[in-house]
Amino acid sequence: MISTVASQQLLSLRRQRVFLAALGMFVAMTAAAGLLGWSSHNTIVRVYDQAVKLLAANGQPAPPNPFLLKPELSLLSNMVVYVPLLGALLALLLGHLSVADDESTGLGRLIFSRRVSRTEYAMGKIAAAAISLAVILLAAMAVSVASLVVANQTAPTIEVVGRLGLFYGLSWLYLLVFALVGMGTALLSRRRSLALLSAMGAWLVITFTIPQFTSGLRPTASLNPIADPVGTSQRFFQITALARPISIAEQYKTASAQILATAPSEPVLHTVMRVVPVAVVAVVLAAAVMVLVQRHDFSRSSNGE
Amino acid sequence: MANDRRQRILAIARHEYRAAVRSRILVVLLGILIVTTAGSVVIASAEYASRLADYQAYRAAAVAGGATRIAPSPLAPLSLLRGAFEYIEYIGAVIAITLGYLTVSRERVNRTLPLIMSRPITTGELAAGSLLGAVWVITTLVAATTAVAVLSVGLVGHDWINPGQAGKLLLAFVAAIIYMATFYSLGAFATASSKVATNGLMAALGIWLVVVLVLPQIGDTLDADNQLPGGLFAALGLGHDGEVQILTHFATYETIRTSIEAASFAKHFERFAFAMTDVKERFRTLSLPDLFFQVRFSIVWILLYAGALPIALNRSFRKQPAIPQGETQ
Repeated sequence: MISTVASQQLLSLRRQRVFLAALGMFVAMTAAAGLLGWSSHNTIVRVYDQAVKLLAANGQPAPPNPFLLKPELSLLSNMVVYVPLLGALLALLLGHLSVADDESTGLGRLIFSRRVSRTEYAMGKIAAAAISLAVILLAAMAVSVASLVVANQTAPTIEVVGRLGLFYGLSWLYLLVFALVGMGTALLSRRRSLALLSAMGAWLVITFTIPQFTSGLRPTASLNPIADPVGTSQRFFQITALARPISIAEQYKTASAQILATAPSEPVLHTVMRVVPVAVVAVVLAAAVMVLVQRHDFSRSSNGE
Repeated sequence: MANDRRQRILAIARHEYRAAVRSRILVVLLGILIVTTAGSVVIASAEYASRLADYQAYRAAAVAGGATRIAPSPLAPLSLLRGAFEYIEYIGAVIAITLGYLTVSRERVNRTLPLIMSRPITTGELAAGSLLGAVWVITTLVAATTAVAVLSVGLVGHDWINPGQAGKLLLAFVAAIIYMATFYSLGAFATASSKVATNGLMAALGIWLVVVLVLPQIGDTLDADNQLPGGLFAALGLGHDGEVQILTHFATYETIRTSIEAASFAKHFERFAFAMTDVKERFRTLSLPDLFFQVRFSIVWILLYAGALPIALNRSFRKQPAIPQGETQ
């Protein structure tokens, strides 16, 4: 029965124009990240050529090859920003639609007249969200590999593909958190807009507010692919830095930078420990969604603003 | 006649204000904005207080030592408000879109739009009244945020802003109201143009995402010097003169890059607000006319956007059917 609920949900999402538009936007942003990476590659080549000419004219030796300083996967570093921004909002929408549509179409009232338990229903919905996100991220990974081939003019090595796989795996886990937030708020509020905006409020807090308190990162700093926390010389940050492990946006970005090798390396165990809070939050939210489905009154359709 | 018209617009504006204040979601988003802004400014002010104490100790020692030339303070209390304006740029825009969405969806869901339109009121007056009411709400919100920020600088940073700085802050304050009013118009326009209000909200939030987050980030990423950690030109052993010489070969590239940034309304608001609040060190010594000259293009863009969206809002209100069609949520 879980698979029936999940396949019905996947079919419903496939028919949603809003969802398809959001999906197209995400794939387009992945392509844009690749295009920016290719542009970056070209810019470095052209600047390097000009620098060689300029230094030669001044009788100076040629500068070091800048590609020796540039990590191979850095051309995809913008994805580390787009996933928490665009991807997380898409995941919120996906989670929201999967619950809110059942309410507004009246399906929520009908479905429990069949032999479907609430646990199976909740698990089917979560499975559908997880599968949808996996499909989206697989498409994004394919676009990323194509970008690497175009930019570097060679096929990526197995190690690079492995790193990309790990990065998109972590992104899947991170986005699942937001899909569950979207489901949770839709189950908590009868008003569709209130549910959507509450989910967005949660996204704003996770993406901007918590990193501000734990690491002094202003919103513009949060748009940087590399998280650069403030020092802990201030008493305030000595205290709030203790909460950094639960700042999942920072943990995601730092772990991603490690996986893509775009930041100075740290022990593997440290990176694994950064993934743990994201996984814990996902498990807790999944449990919360299960509980909320048990308690939710599906006999009332949503209405209001 | 003009008086009647004014009375009708004011009645709609009062209705808009009351309804906004009663909205739970708006109160929650406002709470997030104020707490985050206060947190940001308090954190910056705490660090500022210690730097100010260091400067005052240096100044006292220099005076006691009989020094005739004392270095002026490099500190700028207004720059501590950077976080406040960044949060208005990001979260404030979402609040404004929500406000615009609620303006339209509220009347649709409550089925009060046919009732309002049955009174002797034009769609132009309805749009003007709604916008005026929203501007009151936004002014209250920005004033509360600014007051919290200025008090934090004074009480935590131990430095109060002077009348000249207050004047510049007022200009940034007005820009913030215009910025949010424009996003309000976007939210109301997108919702009024959509049969299903939630789809309009999502479309407006999609535009917010592109204009506020994606375009500035792309413009920044394309900056030639940002291609390597620590700067590409520094990695190539080139100083500022070398960088300027090389960039002359990248005129088209730089035009495209700056055009992408120019397409972002948020970036123009940011440039203006940062210039007024001493965030950029090179602007701190400039007089107000010089500051205006430096950010003249941003001012023009802000005014263009601020003029275009209310016009679009008026048109969408005119086209909106008085009796809601299809799904209303």
